[in-house]
Amino acid sequence: MLQYTIKRLLLVIPTFFLISLLIFVVLNVAPGRPGAGSQNDGGESSNQQQKESFRIFKEQFNLDKPILVNTRWALETADVRELLVTAHKLEGDVTAAERVDAEVDLDDFGNYLVKHLVVLLDDSNPEVQRLAAATLVSAAQLRFVSERRADPLEARRVNREISKANESVKTWTWPEGAPAEQQAAVSASWKDWYTTNEGNYTWTGSERVDAFFFDTRFAKYWSNLIHLDFGISTADRRPVFETVMGKLKYSLSLTMVATLLAYFIAVPIGVFSAYRQGTRLDTAVTVMLFVMYSLPTFFTGTVLLRLLTEGEPFAWFPTGDFQTMSSAPWTTWDRLKDIVWHLVLPMATYTSVSLATLSRYARAGVIEVIRADYIRTARAKGLSEPVVIIKHAVRNGMIPILTLLGGLLPALIAGSVVIEVVFNIPGMGQYIFNAIGARDYNAVMAVLLTSSFLALIGILVSDLSYAFVDPRISFD
Amino acid sequence: MTSQTNPSDALAGQAPPDDPTYGEIVWGQFVKRKEAVGSLLGLALLLLLAIYAPLLASNKPFLWQVDGEGLSSPWLKALFDRNFFENGVDIFFNTLLVVVTLVGPVVGAVFWKTRHSSRKPRNRSRRRALLAAGALFMVVWTGVTLFPQQSQKVVYPRLEQSLQEEGKAVMAVYAPIPFSSRDGDLDMVRLPVSLKHFLGTDNSGRDVFTRLVFGTRISLTIGVFAVALYITFGTFMGALAGFYGGWVDMAIQRVIEVVICIPSLFLILTVASFIEERSIFHIMIIIAAVAWTSPARLVRAEFLRLRNLDFVAAARAAGYRESTIIFKEILPNALGPVLVAATFGVARAILTESTMSFLGLGDITVPSWGQILNTGRGTGIWVMILAPGFAIFLTVGLLNLMGEGVRDALDPKLRK
Repeated sequence: MLQYTIKRLLLVIPTFFLISLLIFVVLNVAPGRPGAGSQNDGGESSNQQQKESFRIFKEQFNLDKPILVNTRWALETADVRELLVTAHKLEGDVTAAERVDAEVDLDDFGNYLVKHLVVLLDDSNPEVQRLAAATLVSAAQLRFVSERRADPLEARRVNREISKANESVKTWTWPEGAPAEQQAAVSASWKDWYTTNEGNYTWTGSERVDAFFFDTRFAKYWSNLIHLDFGISTADRRPVFETVMGKLKYSLSLTMVATLLAYFIAVPIGVFSAYRQGTRLDTAVTVMLFVMYSLPTFFTGTVLLRLLTEGEPFAWFPTGDFQTMSSAPWTTWDRLKDIVWHLVLPMATYTSVSLATLSRYARAGVIEVIRADYIRTARAKGLSEPVVIIKHAVRNGMIPILTLLGGLLPALIAGSVVIEVVFNIPGMGQYIFNAIGARDYNAVMAVLLTSSFLALIGILVSDLSYAFVDPRISFD
Repeated sequence: MTSQTNPSDALAGQAPPDDPTYGEIVWGQFVKRKEAVGSLLGLALLLLLAIYAPLLASNKPFLWQVDGEGLSSPWLKALFDRNFFENGVDIFFNTLLVVVTLVGPVVGAVFWKTRHSSRKPRNRSRRRALLAAGALFMVVWTGVTLFPQQSQKVVYPRLEQSLQEEGKAVMAVYAPIPFSSRDGDLDMVRLPVSLKHFLGTDNSGRDVFTRLVFGTRISLTIGVFAVALYITFGTFMGALAGFYGGWVDMAIQRVIEVVICIPSLFLILTVASFIEERSIFHIMIIIAAVAWTSPARLVRAEFLRLRNLDFVAAARAAGYRESTIIFKEILPNALGPVLVAATFGVARAILTESTMSFLGLGDITVPSWGQILNTGRGTGIWVMILAPGFAIFLTVGLLNLMGEGVRDALDPKLRK
């Protein structure tokens, strides 16, 4: 048992890693980048500033990095030249899509281009020379370090120096048709600069391995994740983790109370129904549970909302929200009452589905057990009927519905989307729904990860409790 | 009582009946239950409704004649018209409509005629009839898919009105409900329930009842195809894991565990939002991509149990190839639980799809039930909440009922 527990606990780590990998890949191969809307739509020269800010935005969110593995150190000078030529339509036919792709690549490859661009300063085509210098300006920019962690003061000082270094590099270009001397001078200053900084832009064997695995979006994301830093929301520019933790209390309280409620109602119903198996009451309960089981949550929620809140026909409950907006100055007791008042309908909706599932399993579980020999033995011993049912039958019959909890948890967490959207509760479900709409990747990722983590822990706990409760189950 | 002593057999001079096959036993158990048979009939009716939806509701007249000349059937022409039925699902069902109407009676006759013959000839002729029908369907379907027809858009009720104003005699025979699920009339937005519009009209002036009827097509298609997709994949993965064990099993198990942990609706909604023009085919694939784990686990467990049995050892000793052992020897024995899971799975897939379209992340071009309900939520019109809700409930309920029937029929413990 102990060994099994330890094994399961250890397995949580790789499983969570794989979950994050899967979610990350899914999110990153998806079309439509966050912030893409702010990118210019074709006007080339006028939007230099905007382009630059988009580049910085991508850097900040590591969107310029490759997703899982980085092979950019293996670029050849010829490839880079090709990219330059394509991006600026210098030779041959280029479709708009190819041109945009090449532009994005040139933006994203950043430091990995420097080595090749310096070579291209001596290209046979003067236009390529000019573009090489122009691209060098953005490619050679050093990255700012994050100010959100470690020592903010130190980080700020480093960033000031980086900014200064970047500033000097920024002027080293020449306009189209500039005199040859100017071109030569700029070229020369680039080459000088490159000889002093060469180490930063060439990769040795071990550095290549390092870059291959770690200079990627996924690695950067994980290195932040270890510090519980889920990044900044692209929508409200606030750390996602804090927001998610704030939302979690709504969702978690809703989920947990609903689950507990469902168990407390479902087990007696199931037991009763099983005990009175075949009677008319059992049939009625079974049919009712079947109907509840087949009703979609969003339908139940919408009907309850339409039927019982403001307006017609009844106005017994508030139309949604977690609590009244202006409830802050109220006493704790009043606020609690207010919250409960608001949560009656969502809770009823939430409970109804899991309630039906659970009672059906509880009924089946007790029916299975009630025919067992030891129940007959217990009756033959002269034990009173309640003791037989509760101590002997129910205890054993409930084992299957304990495992159900594990399977139910991810579904319940996911089900919160519908409930929270319908009843306008500011929890995780509503948050991810809005984040999906706004293409707020960090937020979506954070919600997916936290909810998966919760589900993982839930499944683990229910598996362990299953093994703990049922001595017939042994794990090697 | 053995068959030799059965007097009725002797009288009819028929061969003794064959021993029942496993499938026949299960079927016999299934039809013993009233609810199971009822649900099967209900589902068959739903399927017929889906297939014959245009017969019930269409704004193209069956017959059209102006001033006594040029009798035509715009309805028939519209069946495969990509300008009228834009969606592949509708084209699919319209093909079914044509094929079922044409050869359905023939196949039915073959089934009826062979009901007393012994198994071998019966199965042979039945299989032939089904194959021929299937082949005809495939030919027609491929034809109408490869050579899409497109004609000009004509709103016949309007045309009729204007022609009559010109003083022409128009003869037009319409379907009982002369509306289309797609074409709205912006002069008739949010009409209340009436004899003309059984369930009123929606925000774009489309007849809600018509949309509800055509929504059956969408829901059934998504349910059946998504499940077919993930059952196939899941069964394959589960078979591999269970048969080979070792690192194959380990790897597949890890993947399953990972997929199970991610709350599926979150993942489904996220992925759905990335697809620019979601069609219901995307939705099927997304649903299948998260749901394949349950058949995989079931099949894996069955394989773990079955692979050590004697018939597998015998098959190995006989020198069968591994693929034969997996797919021909073990798999048929492992499919029972999968069948149950598939039936419930269709219900769940339909629920998932309607949840997606309820949240606005479904295919917005098709008349989905969840979408109607969403409109109902937005406008607060009762009919548009209750009608689609009831439709979903009915379909899901029937499927759940049938799933229970299949489960009980397969459970040898419950057999007398």
